[in-house]
Amino acid sequence: MKHSVNRRHFLKLSSFTGGGLMLGLVLPEWAKATGSAADCESFKPSAYLCINKDNTVIVYVAKQEIGQGVNTSLPMLVAEELECDLKSIKVEIAPYGSLGQGAHDTGGSQSVMGLFDPMRKAGATARTMLIAAAAKRWNTGVEVCTAEKGKVVNNKTGASLSFGELVCDAAKEEVPKEVLLKNVKDFKVIGKGQKKNNLKDILTGKVQYGIDVKVPGMVYAAVARCPVMGGKLVSVDDSEALKIPGVVKVLRYEGTGAPMHVRAGVAVVATNSWAALRARKALKIVWDESKGKGVNTAQLEKDMAARAKQKPAEAIPVKGNAADTIIAGPNSMVAEYSAPFVAHATLEPVNFTAQVKDGKCELWGGLQLPDWTVGLVAQELQIKSSDIKVNLTLSGGGFGRRLHSDFALEAVKLAKQLDHPVKVIWDRTDDIRFDVFRPANHHRLAAKWDAQGRITHWQHHVLTTSITRVQRPDAKQLSENLGGASQDFWYDIPNVYAGYSNVDFSINRGWVRGVEFVVNVFPLESFVDEVARKLKKDPLQYRLSMLEGRKPFEAKFNDNWKETIDPERMAGVLKLAADKIGWHKPAAKNIYRGIACHCYTTAKAYAAHAVEIEIKGPKQFIIKKIVATIDCGLVIDPDGLKNQMEGGTVFALSQALKSEIHIQDGKVVEDGFFNYGVLRYNEMPAIEVHVVPSEASPGGAGEVGLPTLAPALCNALAAAGNRPRRLPLQKDGYSWS
Amino acid sequence: MPKHQLNINEQVFTVEAEDDMPLLWVLRDVLNMTGTKYGCGVASCGACTVLLNETAVRSCATTIKSCAGAKITTIEGLSDALLHPVQQAWEEVNVPQCGYCQAGQVMSVAGMLKRNKQPSKETIEAVMSQVICRCGTYDRIRRAIDIAVAKVNNP
Ligand code: FES
Ligand code: FES
Repeated sequence: MKHSVNRRHFLKLSSFTGGGLMLGLVLPEWAKATGSAADCESFKPSAYLCINKDNTVIVYVAKQEIGQGVNTSLPMLVAEELECDLKSIKVEIAPYGSLGQGAHDTGGSQSVMGLFDPMRKAGATARTMLIAAAAKRWNTGVEVCTAEKGKVVNNKTGASLSFGELVCDAAKEEVPKEVLLKNVKDFKVIGKGQKKNNLKDILTGKVQYGIDVKVPGMVYAAVARCPVMGGKLVSVDDSEALKIPGVVKVLRYEGTGAPMHVRAGVAVVATNSWAALRARKALKIVWDESKGKGVNTAQLEKDMAARAKQKPAEAIPVKGNAADTIIAGPNSMVAEYSAPFVAHATLEPVNFTAQVKDGKCELWGGLQLPDWTVGLVAQELQIKSSDIKVNLTLSGGGFGRRLHSDFALEAVKLAKQLDHPVKVIWDRTDDIRFDVFRPANHHRLAAKWDAQGRITHWQHHVLTTSITRVQRPDAKQLSENLGGASQDFWYDIPNVYAGYSNVDFSINRGWVRGVEFVVNVFPLESFVDEVARKLKKDPLQYRLSMLEGRKPFEAKFNDNWKETIDPERMAGVLKLAADKIGWHKPAAKNIYRGIACHCYTTAKAYAAHAVEIEIKGPKQFIIKKIVATIDCGLVIDPDGLKNQMEGGTVFALSQALKSEIHIQDGKVVEDGFFNYGVLRYNEMPAIEVHVVPSEASPGGAGEVGLPTLAPALCNALAAAGNRPRRLPLQKDGYSWS
Repeated sequence: MPKHQLNINEQVFTVEAEDDMPLLWVLRDVLNMTGTKYGCGVASCGACTVLLNETAVRSCATTIKSCAGAKITTIEGLSDALLHPVQQAWEEVNVPQCGYCQAGQVMSVAGMLKRNKQPSKETIEAVMSQVICRCGTYDRIRRAIDIAVAKVNNP
């Protein structure tokens, strides 16, 4: 097991292991195993599903449900081919390990993309075996039998047998090597609006998340963590804490470095969460915080701005010869943009439950990359991965927070000192202060154009506090990928060059929803707009002139990773957004519009935002309306897709307007929702989501709704005469309502 | 430790706990009623909203002692069959994403409509701005509130 990982590699891996290969390997094993079962209660043709005698169908979903809707969309794929009512399906989290390495990895908006074929094949395989079993019973050929609504029907006699009545026989059938999948035009479930699978449980309070885990004998812990990364415990006086009713004991542990940077901690263990949280306040701790001295975001901003003007540390020539061109002079412009560290702040604060007993370990909680976590826990405990049992749960939001394992390692460090399972509960302050932040970033862009105003040279210097550096300090190459800014840059410009520089900074950081695309699309789509406005061209037409008529092209990132980008699909989402915001209609007084588009290359999806604002004062505005458009290929769950686009927009709007993490002397300043800004109900603008119909193979959506919101909003502000170049807008005195 | 009698969802429970233990943790850790969620513990997110004598309160900032003699309703007590108009509206609009904030959202609206069957836009904003949804389902919540208001007025 690798203990440090390139995210892209992971995502490639997960979509691969979710592929057809799995079915070939796993299916026959399962089928035989259940075929010989004496009880004849169920039929389990693969690790993806099980049909019971009572006609219920259990679909096992390996991807983690974190709000993105996999527990709704993936079972739909099975139902479509199995020919059963979606209501007869019960969704269960696939037991960890049942589907092999990488199967549970959840990220990069890859779930539907990776499982579109496997889940449908699983349904079709089961259906084929059920039909074969029924045909034998009726002593007829399979061609006269069809499956519909949970039954196999004999089309000659009109007789029918429910799936439940066939489980015993079907389990004895040969597993077909190949199955026929439906044509798109025959889809009955895919593409039809569905309610969320666990809607009723949510509305009756029955749904259980990681924080709701309760195991026999469990104790609760709240941890006081060293406020600076790499700091140490000097002393602790726990005498007052131990007096608080319910407190069991106080534990200490040392911090660890890369990849997870678990802080040194003092933990209060108690019989309930409240006692633990309360007693933690009574600890008197002295930390060695010297490592944090001088670690300030105010300084980082200056360092990044200075570094931006020098040569990039890593050069990524895209095409032509922009690398050596010094962009200056009349037909050119240069601009810099920046954005701060931001937190995940999932509404369910981080928590995790662990037990270590007799050389074995059991874990409970939400994990987006459980294989990685298991590897790290095995290393921490010096045990075999196979001695670790993982119980995955639903999560109250993920946004990438649960791709990381710091919280799990921390729980394990406590569990190994206890005889009981322990649930570590993070309060909101912990959740924000000890998050794994989206890197602060800075960009310098330059462009040069010809007499007709066509851009001939384009340069983009991306600077971040590298994620790779914090996870693998000795890594040589830090520019994992530049999401939109390098080979996958969508505009037709003959000379393009991208460069990357890391600026070291001592705070933990990691992947936050939208990752590099959110980071790069804001400057990129702001800058192209700036050029258009400088040339007095319509920003929509200017973009379209660099997209329309351009043939699909291949972005080759390395020898085994390439993606195809279709500029016409990009133009499609852009034009739709423009139409729906009324781009071509004259705007009333003080009304301004902005637009932006992007291709979320790795999710095979195109999206745009158009924003209409009303200016109320020099830096005061009202967002009148937001339009979000997407083309992510064939749509599985249209309402779920819209919900993702609405949610992505809101998440991005928080970041555009007010989310920012400040660090002073290595310590995070923000400590809750009072000072870490997230969007609230009264700030929610009117929003419309429009989907471009497509039969292209399905892409992802969970992250696709974020990147273009900030540039579209800033482009609207620029149209009003005031170009913002750094986020969040609050930082530069903007206010909104 | 002091004993407390709590009337929750029309059932009486006797709980031994410190007087100042927040109702939230009594529900979650002592009574194992986990439908009420923890999001901040300091009345800044609304995830823990329950009804105390039909008024929406933050259970993280409500001590067990102050619940004496009161009627407490949690999300579990609304209606198992989704008969409550707010649940129905939420179902109709298919509001949730991760679902974690939704108990707090639903209970806040239920409390608001108990007091005022025709809340103004300003009232709705004042009440609902206290309840965070990080998944960003606000537009759906807005639509669902309109439906719930209609249902309450024309049952
Ligand atoms: S947990 Fe009570 S308001 Fe946040
Ligand atoms: S649905 Fe996830 S926080 Fe609201």
